[in-house]
Amino acid sequence: MTEHDDVRDLLAAWAFGALEPAEERAVPLHLARCQDCAAEAEQLRETVRMLEGPPLDEPPSPFDTPFAGALRARPAPPRVARHAAPYAAAVAGLRALLPELPGRWSTPVVHDWDVHATVAHLLAADEHLALRLGIEARVPGARIDEDADWTDTWERRSAEVIAHEYGRRPEETVADWSAQAAELLGTPHARDPELAAGTTLLMGLRLPVAEHFLARAFEAWIHTDDIGRALGLTVPPPPEEHLGQLIGLAVRVLDTVLGTETPPVLFAVRGGEEWVLGSRSDPVAAELTLDPVDFCLLVGGRYAPDAVPRDTTGDAAAVRNVLERAASLSWL
Amino acid sequence: MESTDGTTSVQQPADAELHRRLVYGDESALAEAYGAYGGLVRAVAMRVTRSRAAAEDVAQEVFAQLWSRPYAFEPRRGSLRTWLSVLAHRRAVDWVRGEARHRKDVRADDLALHGIPDASPGPAEAVVDRERSLQLHTALAELPQPQREVVHLAYFAGRTYRQAAVELGIPEGTAKTRLRTALRTLAETLADPPDRAWEGGA
Repeated sequence: MTEHDDVRDLLAAWAFGALEPAEERAVPLHLARCQDCAAEAEQLRETVRMLEGPPLDEPPSPFDTPFAGALRARPAPPRVARHAAPYAAAVAGLRALLPELPGRWSTPVVHDWDVHATVAHLLAADEHLALRLGIEARVPGARIDEDADWTDTWERRSAEVIAHEYGRRPEETVADWSAQAAELLGTPHARDPELAAGTTLLMGLRLPVAEHFLARAFEAWIHTDDIGRALGLTVPPPPEEHLGQLIGLAVRVLDTVLGTETPPVLFAVRGGEEWVLGSRSDPVAAELTLDPVDFCLLVGGRYAPDAVPRDTTGDAAAVRNVLERAASLSWL
Repeated sequence: MESTDGTTSVQQPADAELHRRLVYGDESALAEAYGAYGGLVRAVAMRVTRSRAAAEDVAQEVFAQLWSRPYAFEPRRGSLRTWLSVLAHRRAVDWVRGEARHRKDVRADDLALHGIPDASPGPAEAVVDRERSLQLHTALAELPQPQREVVHLAYFAGRTYRQAAVELGIPEGTAKTRLRTALRTLAETLADPPDRAWEGGA
């Protein structure tokens, strides 16, 4: 390349004032010697000058009213206690996806659900906690049945609500899901940690209400992620602190399910905490480390136990047992 | 906006984290985005509209869009800086076109009603500059995305072409070439009669 070629390549960047200082000096020297480049440079500079338009009559001044105006484009997040914050954020996360959904309601998502049915399922899934907290159901036929097998109750109600919602417009389903979520976040149980320490039986688990709020966050996020995948959009994982809370819940449930008889496994999430799962009296048989999001996807039934990326050492059977039990929690 | 050579922007991790917080409704993330890019967005809008009030409206619209529809921005497809700058520019051009159409309608109405031309069109030179500027900005808004991005970084965001190349994850030579092709296209639109600007699109 000659100096001429070099400089000609730089002329547009020069006209925009986008050269490195050293190159900035080389251009005028060449232009003084080369008429072709000087003509082109003049034309490009004139174009940039025209882009600027006539001089401003108003002096620029600092103003930040646009920020206040922009903030109003989305409702302010509800004030809730720490245990309900992940659910509040997950609800905001699905609401953020809503503008992308019109025209795509019948895109297949998971199981045999499309986007509309997935939101209807969330409406049904949140309803169980809503009923316990004294919120009226929005779809006829809701009831609390303490004796029935929870998975049956859960699946029957989900199917009922989906069938019901297919008779309505997707926007109506979304509005009901959103309103129910807002009601849940408006309960005293969402604001008061002491009140939320009281236990209730849901999904076959007697857990503090605070934990059930975490389960709602977990489910809302996983299904939002499902919808995002179906639409080709990357749904980011919940904020770090919330993710930690969801993992804590999943580990507590997993530990309960494993019981005290299984060979102990030292379980860790990358960059986070570690726990001993299973028997506390025997020496640790194996170590298992998972990515935090992968662990959630495994527990959410979105990873087969043998497909989840992992680091392991020690007893392979003990590790497999933990992975299989985690995948079989199947609460979503 | 996917970079053609498969590399990714250096902004990606920071933008992805900000996007994550925006998606989950963290107001401080919007404040951060506004703090970092509010000046750029207002400057872009100001340059096109030449009006502080209009620039404020455009900035509000741009950040309202980022906040209420965060998935319109995808971190894996480009940097937030460029996305906001391009959006501000497009909205500002739309605003000016709307104004121009409005002014023309008013003038046409005046003529129809009173049979007299607008008495005070302003200094002729400024009007021509104004129309040419809009013509160029309209052409800029219609450049192919890869060219538009590098122009936004070099012209509005004050980046050198090297910095722009790093930010976009493209080779320096590509950044230079895109700037050149873009500016040549703009220079050629100046050869067209200025009136086309608001008759062409919208």
